[in-house]
Amino acid sequence: MGLIVKTTARVTIPLIGIFGSYIVMHGHLTPGGGFQGGATIAGAGILFLIAFGLGEMKKRYNKNLYSALEGLGGLAFLGVAMLGMSVAFFYNTLWHNGPVLNGKPGTLLSAGFLPIMNLAVGLKVFTGLVSALTAIALWRRWKG
Amino acid sequence: MPFIVAFLFAYIVWLLLTAGSKGLLWSTEELIVGLVFAAIVGYATKDVIRENSTRFLNPVKWFGFIAYAPVLFWGMVKANFDVAYRVITGKIRPGIVRVPVDLENDAQYTVMSNSITLTPGTLTIDACPDEKALYVHWINVPKGLERPESSEPLAGPFEKWARRLGR
Repeated sequence: MGLIVKTTARVTIPLIGIFGSYIVMHGHLTPGGGFQGGATIAGAGILFLIAFGLGEMKKRYNKNLYSALEGLGGLAFLGVAMLGMSVAFFYNTLWHNGPVLNGKPGTLLSAGFLPIMNLAVGLKVFTGLVSALTAIALWRRWKG
Repeated sequence: MPFIVAFLFAYIVWLLLTAGSKGLLWSTEELIVGLVFAAIVGYATKDVIRENSTRFLNPVKWFGFIAYAPVLFWGMVKANFDVAYRVITGKIRPGIVRVPVDLENDAQYTVMSNSITLTPGTLTIDACPDEKALYVHWINVPKGLERPESSEPLAGPFEKWARRLGR
């Protein structure tokens, strides 16, 4: 892309990143959540891919790291769901008698395991979407 | 230190988004979580924000941007009325002109191009730093200005401002 698109992308990518993090972290308080925020941050990655081109993306994109982070997101979701296993699967033990994340409803650190699950889903969606779009962009050639 | 720039930018955006979590101010947990996420975003985007972006940490530059806002706004108001006049009367003479500009870096070209595009009637099509020129689509090219010598007839004072703000 041209110079103006690149320079604007340099400013916009951190902006989209922090806004997506805000959506993920406030999933239990405001509209949005893990998927929406993760897709927003993935938009920053795709903006990078489009504005700077595939050559630059190849240098920055690490397949193993993204693959591992996607697995980590899924595992964190499952692990938090198992925390209250002594009562039931998905029992929100952090909210009922946990040490953290049981603040007054409406504050940031409340709602038990929901913020952690939002973070896990956000991480998984971000890495998954960026990996998928990079893999599509890396497809070898256009031939009918 | 591009990390510092990206970190501060992300943290300021976070503070703007979460203002009002404790009265009109911020609760402690929002501030701490914001620090963590701004650090992550800053670390991830430290290569996107470039090395020379630290010059935007200079407070003199922020006052420059604040002073530029009314100039740009007034230019937009004037130009919108001009375009409304051209819509009603249909007096147009469209064309793409090459405008030589005297700018050095990317930020100056971006400020200049966006200012030209935001003032209606002119639309930046391409910025070519290697030939130090912008290609601008002009809704009403005045007679004899098909090859302008400077950006003055199109953009008024914007080139001077762009040179100052992006330096």
